[in-house]
Amino acid sequence: MTEELLPAELPLLLVWVIKAVIIFGALISAAGITTLAERKVSAWIQYRHGPNRVGPFGLLQPLADGVKFIFKEELVPDGANRLMFRLAPIITAAPAMMAIAVIPFAGEVVIGEYNLGNLSITDLSVSVLYVGALTGLGIYGIILGGWSSNSKFSLMGALRASAQMVSYELTLLLAILSVVLLAGSLDLRAIAESQAISGESTIGVWNMFLQPVAFVLFIISMFAETNRHPFDFAECEPELVGGFHTEYSSMKFALFFLGEYCAIIVMCCLVTTFFLGGYDVPFWEGAPWFVQLASFVAKAACFVFLFIWVRWTLPRFRYDQLMGLGWKVMLPLALVNVTVTGAVVSFGWSPLLTPVLALAALLPAAVLFAKIKPGEASLTGQSIARQAVSEEGAVS
Amino acid sequence: MVIVKRKELSFWERLYLPEVLRGLSVTMQAMFRKPVTRQYPEEPLPVNEVTRGQPRLAVNPDDTIRCVSCGLCEAACPAYAITIDGQETDRFIEREPERFDIDMLRCILCGFCEEACPKDAILMSDELELADFSREALVYDIEKLKRPVSALQPRLDYIYKLSDRWNSSSSSS
Repeated sequence: MTEELLPAELPLLLVWVIKAVIIFGALISAAGITTLAERKVSAWIQYRHGPNRVGPFGLLQPLADGVKFIFKEELVPDGANRLMFRLAPIITAAPAMMAIAVIPFAGEVVIGEYNLGNLSITDLSVSVLYVGALTGLGIYGIILGGWSSNSKFSLMGALRASAQMVSYELTLLLAILSVVLLAGSLDLRAIAESQAISGESTIGVWNMFLQPVAFVLFIISMFAETNRHPFDFAECEPELVGGFHTEYSSMKFALFFLGEYCAIIVMCCLVTTFFLGGYDVPFWEGAPWFVQLASFVAKAACFVFLFIWVRWTLPRFRYDQLMGLGWKVMLPLALVNVTVTGAVVSFGWSPLLTPVLALAALLPAAVLFAKIKPGEASLTGQSIARQAVSEEGAVS
Repeated sequence: MVIVKRKELSFWERLYLPEVLRGLSVTMQAMFRKPVTRQYPEEPLPVNEVTRGQPRLAVNPDDTIRCVSCGLCEAACPAYAITIDGQETDRFIEREPERFDIDMLRCILCGFCEEACPKDAILMSDELELADFSREALVYDIEKLKRPVSALQPRLDYIYKLSDRWNSSSSSS
C-alpha cells in the first residue's frame, strides 16, 4: 500500500510541506522587516536616522531585537492565571499566522519542467470564511492576556479591544461581502482572478475602482482590526500603560508583537487580493509566476507602508468617537454599499455601474450630514453639560 | 469655569478623510527632510576656544612643563580633584611637579584651576570625551595631562582677551 502511495503521493506532500515552510518563513521574516520599517519610517517622519548601527542600514536590527527578547527575564505577575497567561500570546499569534495559508501569492509555479501547482499553501473554496473566522479569533488572545494578568490596566485594554474588534469586524466583513457578491465566489483565488485586467470572462477592473466605498471602509476597519493607530485602544500607552501587554515580558511580549505584525501583513495581503487584483500584473496576460509574486508583494508592501505612515500621522481617537464612527457611520455605509452591489448583481447590470450607484445612494446621507450641526447629532454627556453651562451663563 | 468656544468645522473638515489625506501629505513631506540627528562618534561635537573641556597641562616647545607646583589650582579646586607633589629642578623656575594627578571622575570642568594658575600652565582644553573601563584609569597622571602649548594656544588667547576686556571695562567705570 505504502509502496504504491510513495511515487504519486509523496512528491505532492513534499511540495505542500516545502511551500508551507517557505511561506511561513517568509511571513516571519516579513514581520521582522516590518518592525524595522516601522522604526525607520517613524524616524524619517521625525527628522531622525532610525536604527543604523546593526548591519548595513540597520538591517540586522530585528535579529538583535529577537536575541534581546530571548535573553530577557520572564515575569509572571502574582495572582495571574498562569495557564491563560502563558497561552494568550500563542492564541494571539497563531490565528494571524494561520490566515496566511489561503492567500494566493501567484498563479501556477513552473520551475523547469516541474509544475508545482498554485503558489499558496492551500486553495480553499471557502477561504474568505476561513480568513474571517481567523481574524475574529485573534481577539481571544488579547482578552485572555488582559484578563489573566490580574492587572486593572490590562483588563481595561482587553475590554476596549474586544468592543472595538466586534464593532469593526462587522464593517470589515460587510466590505468583503460586496466584493464577494461581485466575484460570485468565496475563494480568494477566484476573487483575485475575477479582477484580472486582461483575460476572458472577467470584469477587467480592479475592485478598488468598482467598490471605492468598500475599499475605504475595508482600509479603515483593517486598522481597527489589527489594533493599529489611530484605533490602538487596546494598548494606548498614555492611558493604559501598554494595555493588555503591560504585564508581559521577554518572548511572550515578543510573540504578541509578532502576532500583531503578522496580522498587519495578512491584512495587507487581503486588501491586495480583494481590491487590487491580487497577483494580477496590469497589461501583461500570462506573466510568469515570479513576476506575479513580485507584483503581489509590491502591492502588499505599499499597504504595509500605509499602515506605518498612518500610525505616525494620526492621533488616537477618543473612545466614544471610535464607537460612534464604527456604528453610526461605517456600518450604515457598508450596508448601503452591500445593498447597491446586491441590486447590481441580481438585476444583472454592468458591474461598472456599482461605484456610480453607490455614490448616488450616499448623496442623501452626505446632504443630511452637512445639515446636522455636530452638537445636535448626538447629545453626549459632555455636550449636555456644555449646553447647561452656556444657558446658565446666558441667564446670569 | 471657562467656556471654550470650539471652532466650527466645515463640511469638508467633518468628512474627516480629506483632512486625513492632508495630514498624510505633511508627514510624507517630512520624510524627505534631512535628519537633524548628529551621528555622534562619526560626527564629533563642534568645539572652539570657548569650549571648556577637560583641564590639561601646557608643555613649552623645549619640552619643559610650565607648572611650578605652587598649589593654587589644588586650593581653588572645589571638587578636590587635583593632587600635586612638588620637587626642585635646575631650571630657572626652580620648582616643578613630581606628581600632578587630576581625578577626572571628580573634576566638574568648572575652570577655577585655569583662573587660579599664575603661570598659564593649566588650561581647559577642547577635549570632551571621557570613558574607560575602571575608575583607576580615569585618574589622569602628569603624562596623560601634558599637551604642547601650541595645541592650547587658541584657548590661551581667548582667556587673555577676556581678562583684557574685564580689566579695561572695570578701570573705565
